[in-house]
Amino acid sequence: MIPYDMTADDAGDRLANFEKELLVLPAVKSYLLPAFHLAQERLDWLPPESIVVISSHLRIPLSEVYATATAYSELRLEKPQYGAWYMCTGVACEAAGAQRLIDAVDIAPEKLGRIDCQFLCSLAPVCTDHHGKILGRLTADRVRAFFMEDIGD
Amino acid sequence: MTIQHTFLEAIRQESRRQPISKLFIHKGTCGMATDIVSVCEELGIIDMAMSLNAEIIETSCDGRCWAAPSVTVQKIDDAGAAYSRRFDRIDLGIDLEEFNKVLDLTTVHNVFDDGVTGLASRFGQLDGSLLAAVELGAYSVAEKVFLQDQKTILSKIETSKLSGRGGAHFPTGLKWKLAAQNAGPRYLVVNAEEGEPGVFKDRHLLEADPHRLIEGILICCYAVGVEKAFVYVNGQAHKAIESLLTALDQAKNYGILGSEFLPEEMSVDIEVRAGAGGYVCGEESVILNSIEGERPVPRFKPPFATDQGLWGMPTVINNVETLAAVTTLWQDSPPPTKLVSLSGNVTRPGVYEVPADGTLSWNGFLLSAGAELETVPALLLGGPSGIFLPRDKFEERIEMKNIGAGGIFVLSPESSVREITNALAGYNERESCGECTPCREGTIRLTKLLQQETVDLEKVEELIEVMEEASLCMLGGMAGRPVKSAIENFPATWISVDR
Ligand SMILES: Cc1cc2nc3c(=O)[nH]c(=O)nc-3n(C[C@H](O)[C@H](O)[C@H](O)COP(=O)(O)O)c2cc1C
Ligand code: SF4
Ligand code: FES
Repeated sequence: MIPYDMTADDAGDRLANFEKELLVLPAVKSYLLPAFHLAQERLDWLPPESIVVISSHLRIPLSEVYATATAYSELRLEKPQYGAWYMCTGVACEAAGAQRLIDAVDIAPEKLGRIDCQFLCSLAPVCTDHHGKILGRLTADRVRAFFMEDIGD
Repeated sequence: MTIQHTFLEAIRQESRRQPISKLFIHKGTCGMATDIVSVCEELGIIDMAMSLNAEIIETSCDGRCWAAPSVTVQKIDDAGAAYSRRFDRIDLGIDLEEFNKVLDLTTVHNVFDDGVTGLASRFGQLDGSLLAAVELGAYSVAEKVFLQDQKTILSKIETSKLSGRGGAHFPTGLKWKLAAQNAGPRYLVVNAEEGEPGVFKDRHLLEADPHRLIEGILICCYAVGVEKAFVYVNGQAHKAIESLLTALDQAKNYGILGSEFLPEEMSVDIEVRAGAGGYVCGEESVILNSIEGERPVPRFKPPFATDQGLWGMPTVINNVETLAAVTTLWQDSPPPTKLVSLSGNVTRPGVYEVPADGTLSWNGFLLSAGAELETVPALLLGGPSGIFLPRDKFEERIEMKNIGAGGIFVLSPESSVREITNALAGYNERESCGECTPCREGTIRLTKLLQQETVDLEKVEELIEVMEEASLCMLGGMAGRPVKSAIENFPATWISVDR
């Protein structure tokens, strides 16, 4: 998905569509995290405009909405830079040679980051592509092939 | 009574058990991670199965992650008996002649259980429909249990000695009883956050057999008197969420969640919530705050959730597996079993079901997973809050109190206990939510102390003691556990750097 960009032509439409869907959620505090998820699903991150809309629909002070959003590591408060893949360097993947793989594939660190356990240790070593898809039982060739294919599209 | 019985029976009637051959493609997260789709295409096995009139079924991982990418071929004969054979690691090739023979019923094998007993028994043999699940026993325990009164059910859970599978092993029967004693409305929160590194069994359960969880939820709601249940699922577990939502829709559409199936006067609403955080977001009071829309940080305890949970009302919080295990308690051969997530230095890593009553030894279990015991110096049980079990203890039996949520990592001769311990300490430091000082500061200091060339063990122990005593939640409270265990079991490691 293309991340929401307030300077893009479709910014107004995307925000309005998000707001329309948001209004379907019950206007109670309990729906704060579902509201964040909805914003992230539709806009790919939580731009300040979305936070304002959420705050007014759920009637939660803006400062509190921000404080809560920042407490969740998987919510994105900045526009994501795409292209990065993440190699799992958890205990099982490290033991299965994650570091050797990172060295062998020789992909720039901003394109191939590191991440904690991805909960598929039985297929270590694993990595996660930028759509969140997990690839398992990796070899250097496999990483290179998928990475090149992905970056190519 | 009869109405309920006819109800499930009617669903079974709709089912399509007839002489047929089936190709099960294990397309769960494990299959997808090992390119099952393109591998099947390259081998031409879907075309071949279709030419033999086999029904193609997309299903989950059957727990044998090591076998992925894999397919299972099944033939049901005229008498209704099913014969199956799984083809493992088909990326390395497949014997097509053999494949043909199974579809023809020329050779018979059976890799599937009968699907009726055991926690993992339906893994990898459902097609995502409610019919298939019901055919293999789903909701049949609830159907029976709904004929009993709440008191009988609560005492059954208590005598079965089922304990919490989220890691703390609190007695489930007692938890339910405590909540049931308090005036309602009462809530149930299902903890499907599964954020502990090294654990992947709840994702497998949700992807493979979501109706077993729903059945467990219904039994809990009936026994405790709950009208609203939340299932809080890890936000990154996309396939698990999808599978659960589909199953809930099916249960609604077939009337399983309505008055046709539920006992008189019982009604329950089940809502799925996705999480968005790290390790601490699996701590129960963090989930309560998250569902209420508060900041996801732990609460002081007491009050405990069974007294004052969601919105101050009595709340049962149970792990996915705990509730799923409830459905096995009325089967012929209790006691309950435990799912474990096995990774590391073994031939067959995956999700295993082990007896929870201490009848299996570590040696026996490891051998069954293809470990060469002489190459295994130790196990790490329970990840960042866990302990090391050195080889000289492999004779011991597997006990619930030692295994936490069931994450088992098998070390190899190349493993460095010290490096692993430091990595776990670093992980706890990153995942500390910062809400309380003993953990926020303590995890940073612990990592630093451990990185010294010669570690000051006295200081480490003092620090851990403070963290254990004064942390707000068990992330800080147990962060020192692997460190203490490493020092106790591998003392030489800490005298100097071991590499
Ligand atoms: C840091 C931390 C993380 C936890 N993560 C999980 C988790 O991912 N899943 C889970 O079921 N329990 C987790 N727990 C345990 C829960 O707090 C709670 O004990 C459990 O959900 C109770 O259910 P049970 O009795 O059925 O095990 C965690 C606890 C702590 C301290
Ligand atoms: S112990 Fe750690 S994770 Fe738990 S509340 Fe304190 S700082 Fe947060
Ligand atoms: S350590 Fe990499 S998936 Fe768990």
